[in-house]
Amino acid sequence: MKRFVRDNAIGLVFGLLFLIVLIGQAFAGLAVFNEMQRGTGLPDVSFWRYVTSASFGADVAENWQSEYLQFFLFIMLTVWLLQKGSPESKALDKPGRETDEEQKIGRFADDDSPKWARTGGWRTRIFSSSLGLVMGLIFLGSWFAQSVAGVAAFNEEQLSELQDPVSWGQYLLAADFWDRTLQNWQSELLAVASMAILAIYLRQRGSSQSKPVGAPHDATGVEG
Amino acid sequence: MIRLRCLTAAFLVWAVAGCSSVGDREAAASEVATRLHAAVDAGDGAAACAILAPGTVESVAEDEPCPEAILDKDLPRPGTVVETSVYGQWAQVKLSDDTVFLGAFPGGWRVVAAGCTPQASRPYDCTVQGE
Repeated sequence: MKRFVRDNAIGLVFGLLFLIVLIGQAFAGLAVFNEMQRGTGLPDVSFWRYVTSASFGADVAENWQSEYLQFFLFIMLTVWLLQKGSPESKALDKPGRETDEEQKIGRFADDDSPKWARTGGWRTRIFSSSLGLVMGLIFLGSWFAQSVAGVAAFNEEQLSELQDPVSWGQYLLAADFWDRTLQNWQSELLAVASMAILAIYLRQRGSSQSKPVGAPHDATGVEG
Repeated sequence: MIRLRCLTAAFLVWAVAGCSSVGDREAAASEVATRLHAAVDAGDGAAACAILAPGTVESVAEDEPCPEAILDKDLPRPGTVVETSVYGQWAQVKLSDDTVFLGAFPGGWRVVAAGCTPQASRPYDCTVQGE
């Protein structure tokens, strides 16, 4: 048990923090929602009613989609894009998808390589892109969920202001949808750009995301 | 595979329950909206006021008791339901001659605004509504 926790600490700790923060968001969101309810003369809603509401769903999904977009772009673009001196970049002489030998696939696979890396054909092609593919699909799924929950939350607000609701298609062109979407995208892109650049000159001793403290600023593709 | 089937079944149950729940809520909102017009048409101000939201009752009863005041609001005669939209705690019922907005209360839907006419890109103008 102790060994399991040690060997899986990153996933476990971030998973636990995610749940704690999600519950915190639910309580804070409930307070805001009920303030608006009172403002329109309606009674407070229960915790359960709020966490199953479109308002909570849209707030959650809009953040999920941007996080998965960030990772999707980061995974895909760093195949070709490089950043001299950054531990987030591959070595400067390795842009692109690299050779089968470098990627240990097909006949170059090791004995302990995953089965789909060894078999070749469509299985290896899919497995070779599986990380980006799954991140991209989760991004599209959560962006779609944001649009569905978002239009319901937007229409609830429209009705509370004695205005007509809009269709899903109209909502995709509405300022509210793009405001929610773009405000999340810009922060994710800024975070990636700053991480890639700050990690050239700054160090965090012992972190897998940093170069070793003594590594030169122009050392690229080196992690601590 | 069994797990996938269970998840699919659970999703379908949830989706069907969600749809039927929305359908029930739409029907209930439509019923309250038509009941308001029927009560006013029958001259039963007390019955009409009983289905108004508290804030709306307060606003209607500013100068005279709600049961009398509501009858003077020139609400259209009862009509047929054209379209009902329910989103969260709010509903809109479009009738042949009126649009009614309702809010969710512990006892069911209550009318927040009625006698509403659309204004281009602005909130509806309603003869009956809360502050």
